[in-house]
Amino acid sequence: MITRFLTNVSVKFNPFSPRSKSARLVLSLIPSTARASGLRVESKMLPRDSKEPASLGVKFKDGKEMNLELDKMRITEVVETVDRHSRQLARKEELSGN
Amino acid sequence: MPPRIRIRPRALRVRITHPHHSLPQTHTYASLATATATTPAPPIHQNLRAVPPVLRYPPTQPPSHKPPEVRKTQLHRQYQSTLKSSPLILLFQHNNIKAQEWMGIRRELASALRKVDAERLQNGQDAYADDIKVQVIQTGIFASALRVVEFFKPEENILDHAQHPTDPRTPTSALVPQTTNKSDDERFTHGLSKRAYEAASNRKLKLELEPLFAGPLAIVAFPTVSPQHLKSALSTLAPSREFPAPRRKVNPNYHEPAVQAGLQKLMLLGARVEGRVFDQEGTRWVGGIDGGIDGLRAQLVHMLQGVGGSVTSVLEGTSRSIYFTVEGRRMDMEEKEKGDTKE
Repeated sequence: MITRFLTNVSVKFNPFSPRSKSARLVLSLIPSTARASGLRVESKMLPRDSKEPASLGVKFKDGKEMNLELDKMRITEVVETVDRHSRQLARKEELSGN
Repeated sequence: MPPRIRIRPRALRVRITHPHHSLPQTHTYASLATATATTPAPPIHQNLRAVPPVLRYPPTQPPSHKPPEVRKTQLHRQYQSTLKSSPLILLFQHNNIKAQEWMGIRRELASALRKVDAERLQNGQDAYADDIKVQVIQTGIFASALRVVEFFKPEENILDHAQHPTDPRTPTSALVPQTTNKSDDERFTHGLSKRAYEAASNRKLKLELEPLFAGPLAIVAFPTVSPQHLKSALSTLAPSREFPAPRRKVNPNYHEPAVQAGLQKLMLLGARVEGRVFDQEGTRWVGGIDGGIDGLRAQLVHMLQGVGGSVTSVLEGTSRSIYFTVEGRRMDMEEKEKGDTKE
């Protein structure tokens, strides 16, 4: 997952629900140095008997916000969706000249 | 060096002369018959006393279903023993924690637990700090080991077949039920046997912890349910309002950037306490039991004393009231008798 263009990641899930697997995998995909370089990660754990679906909120550096319902997505789809915008930002950055 | 396979020219000759002869060759020579008869008889002491049974494997290492030399199998065995021997296990998810951060976390946990131990030793209680450690686990193998621990319930008298051959109490004439070293024998009851494997691979049985076994996991296993140690471990690894992290003035090492960065990536998922599964809240509740098992006992004794007091007063009350009624009745009857005599 490209985390260079993310400023904020907030995940909410119930660990005892089998559908929250992708939410936990998203957290495990964030590199260990990302927090030090300005990415804010918030993870909220729901109690065991809550039926609330797992959700992911992502904020990008250009201000775009994304809210994903993680309980219906596999981890590959989540990564694909987030990376689609990140790649656009990467291309823009490259074209603007560095 | 002579050839390993002996060529029997006579057998070859027979095969060639009778190619369609399907019956096996039977020797009718008198000389051959006498040759088998001259096999020496077993020595007399062997006939009097049976040969002591031979165990084909060390009693502590019964044969395993999966190859025992691979790391997987040994991890499986190790996790099974951890799960069986520790009634309280905390489950954490660790998200790309660096080695240095792990080092800091482990150090802080050990020092926090040692403080608890120092307090307990003053009260004459046991110390456990050296046995409580953060351990990163292989998720799939741990899940499988938990399935074996939960679903494989072998019968008792496990070591029946492992009677020692040189033990004088071993009856030499008894049949040893198991002396082969094949793992698919039904009588094996250890966690790596084929029966255990089959019991654990029954997909109809579901673990309560099953959804937690995904992604990178770490466990903290406690040798007993001791809420004091749990409390200090929780306030170190997963600080919250009930279990606040140590202050910067009290423990400056805890607030080092390496430790804090590591703790941000460590998430408490749940706990397994004496076979039951708790989420975060439940875990905090277990940690919040004051004074541990002794505290609980004291509470129970106190409660029972209170109950006892009220019970005696209630019983006294009934007896008193019975006394009053009986006495009242007696007075009443006496009065009547008096009235009768008056009339």
